[in-house]
Amino acid sequence: MIKVRIPTPLRPLTRGQGEVEANGASVAEVIADLDSMHPGLKQRLYDERGELRRFVNIYVNEEDIRFLKGKETALKEGDEMSIVPAIAGGR
Amino acid sequence: MVAHARELDPFECCGLLAGSNGTVRHHYRITNTVAKDARAAQVFEEAHVKGLSHLPDMTRAEVAYFMDPKEMLAAFKDMRQRQLDLTAIYHSHTGSPAYPSSTDIGLAYYPEAAYMIVSLQKKSQPDIRAYWIRDRQVVPAEFHSI
Repeated sequence: MIKVRIPTPLRPLTRGQGEVEANGASVAEVIADLDSMHPGLKQRLYDERGELRRFVNIYVNEEDIRFLKGKETALKEGDEMSIVPAIAGGR
Repeated sequence: MVAHARELDPFECCGLLAGSNGTVRHHYRITNTVAKDARAAQVFEEAHVKGLSHLPDMTRAEVAYFMDPKEMLAAFKDMRQRQLDLTAIYHSHTGSPAYPSSTDIGLAYYPEAAYMIVSLQKKSQPDIRAYWIRDRQVVPAEFHSI
């Protein structure tokens, strides 16, 4: 099982839980498994082309998956995945 | 927050405030990497809020902020260890009022946090205001110094 940290904006989909568990050998598989348990989650994370939305940061054991293999980054038992939306703005 | 804003003026500062039951107990300064992180411009474009790519790097940080993702992750981890919640997200407006811009509203992904803005439009009279930004609706948030 992979432990996944859910950011507050997505917790309405996980019945308020900040940490959930899911199965999968890659980030994409874990997201698919999460979506089967918490429908709607995938749609919030992916754009219409099936790519991760730009403002969504995903970390595996604190490493940004952009610097690994993106959503194909491999996961193994006991790994932790964090989903953290970007914080940005300006005048 | 005012000290942080003044130190970085004319560039925008940003950071997080954490606490419990709405009382702030910890302050995290986060680096504004809008001028350095190529993805910042992509995030702004995705949200259709502001074109940054035509601006020189230095100018970008005068009109926008993008929190360093690694520092954000570290701050959230520290909050969990201290058993604190994210209470507020702040940034500075160095030459405009303390009101959320359309960019701030379009990029507000944290409905549970108050968005605080430090305006240095009047340098000797910093103005700090807080708002809830939910579903693109802006509502003033009350806060008190204790």
